[in-house]
Amino acid sequence: MDELTIAMPKGRIFEEAYQMLIDVGFNLPEEVEMSRKLMIEIPEEKIRFILAKPTDVPVYVEHGVADIGIAGKDTLLEQKRNVHELLDLKISQCYIASAGLPNTKMNEIAPRIATKYPNIAMNYYKEIGEQVEIIELNGSIELAPMIGLADRIVDIVSTGRTLKENGLVEYEHITDVSSRLIANPVSYRMKSARIQELVTRLKKFVN
Amino acid sequence: MSSLKMFEKPLGMRDTFPVIYEKIETVRQTGREFLRARGYDFIETPSLEYFDTVGKASAISDASLFKLVDSQGNTLVLRPDMTTPIARVATSKLLKEKIPLRLAYFANVFRAQQTEGGRPAEFGQMGIEIIGDSTVFADAEVIITAIRLIQAFGIESFKITIGHAGVLNCILKDYTESDEQASTLRKLLVDRNYVGFEEAVETFHLPKTKSDALLQFINEATTFASIEEIEKYVRKNDALEYMQQLVELINAADLSEYVALDFTLSSHMNYYTGMLFEVFADGSGFELGNGGRYDGLLHHFGSEVGATGFGIRVDRLLEVLPSQEAEDVTVAVIFNDLEYMKALQVANRLREEGKRVTLQSKKGLINEEAFTKQFDQVVYVSQEDLA
Repeated sequence: MDELTIAMPKGRIFEEAYQMLIDVGFNLPEEVEMSRKLMIEIPEEKIRFILAKPTDVPVYVEHGVADIGIAGKDTLLEQKRNVHELLDLKISQCYIASAGLPNTKMNEIAPRIATKYPNIAMNYYKEIGEQVEIIELNGSIELAPMIGLADRIVDIVSTGRTLKENGLVEYEHITDVSSRLIANPVSYRMKSARIQELVTRLKKFVN
Repeated sequence: MSSLKMFEKPLGMRDTFPVIYEKIETVRQTGREFLRARGYDFIETPSLEYFDTVGKASAISDASLFKLVDSQGNTLVLRPDMTTPIARVATSKLLKEKIPLRLAYFANVFRAQQTEGGRPAEFGQMGIEIIGDSTVFADAEVIITAIRLIQAFGIESFKITIGHAGVLNCILKDYTESDEQASTLRKLLVDRNYVGFEEAVETFHLPKTKSDALLQFINEATTFASIEEIEKYVRKNDALEYMQQLVELINAADLSEYVALDFTLSSHMNYYTGMLFEVFADGSGFELGNGGRYDGLLHHFGSEVGATGFGIRVDRLLEVLPSQEAEDVTVAVIFNDLEYMKALQVANRLREEGKRVTLQSKKGLINEEAFTKQFDQVVYVSQEDLA
């Protein structure tokens, strides 16, 4: 049996996905030490987990140092990396939307959009025929319209509470997001039996 | 703009240091001997081509082309692949001499990139093209040559996945209700987005039999063990029969263990008209090479003959090559000014024995110990040795 390296996003998604693997019958220890370790070996199942920042998971998978990984659809859309998208795990479901101050229109000359997803935002506005200027931020995106940095923000929305608490309203629903199982193109071929088997088991569980 | 540091190179450009240089040379020699023995003639084309001829026809996207302008105002490109220039030469000149042509190449190609490290913008490519033969035997020859070539490099763990544009198109056409739907699904397969494929099928609201068939097809498509298994999805057609023959020919060569079928294989280029394949090997995270039949490209250059071939990326080949022991024995011959004549003789004698000999004056050395450490043997030429 081939050794499988799985890139996992640190934090809440890791726990959910890990539990999912246990649920589909993988012999994994119930409690994993989630201290500062970045690599977890499970010799019984010939699996090795590497724990990465969620947006870095597709990087590890694209370069083939991880065979498969779990990544958010938002990251996949933003980075456009050469990985195979195998399965929608339907965890951490949310969506990307545009938002702004209530009852405002976008500036007619050069509307500004603040976001940590510059590519997604650019593609969306391009498609609806709106020429915008993108301002890239790394966090606290909601600040931008409040203090006049941008007309709209494009960000991930799960419950809408953050928007509400900052006095913003949602304008357009851009795309749905959830965690996906991704694979490196070479691993997908060279370890095809193992990966297919994992996909089949997870697929049954998810649906 | 801050000024450039002396050591900087354009993004994606790499220096080839001696160790890698030797590896590449070995690859070149092994590949050259192997391909010549199979009847392929090597050819070289210019690094620069016109954008309007080769650049536009190439399978490489516009954004990856290095472009420049010549003194007449024509846009030039650094060749982004070898297949397109060879198609140009073949159709304009060579095809008048010999049909079918069997050509081989080992050349650097150029693909610009703006993103990040780990992706060279200039790299070697080795491959073959068979031009002027439309039979399944030419396609089998291409695949078998690819397998044998990879084996010749000493690589054991590799896989070739084969698909056929005709079979895929037939399935997509039969189970969707419009060309638009079929092309949406094809695009998703080019990106290898199986999740997107399933979602798209749901949104089409197809009759249940059709959508079920598509979903089941995508589930099984990369695991078919034989052509018979796909027959339930696709009505009898020439493409399927062609694949059947191709698989039989590969079996006849006793190479089926290296081959897998994948009918989701799809290319963004519409000139891949028939069989196409990808090459993967353990040790690299990226595809080693690819190939297929591209009659459409020849048509673009105004010729109606068939063409098929493959190319392997040398930079990725280096990653998966088994490590080789250096066989050369290196010797340093170190001499004092007065013994130069004798040193020349000693060096020549050692060279005749097949050793790599470095002749070095003792006076020219700054740190003798550090220098001599680099060699397997050190010979000091002194008076007593004179015989």
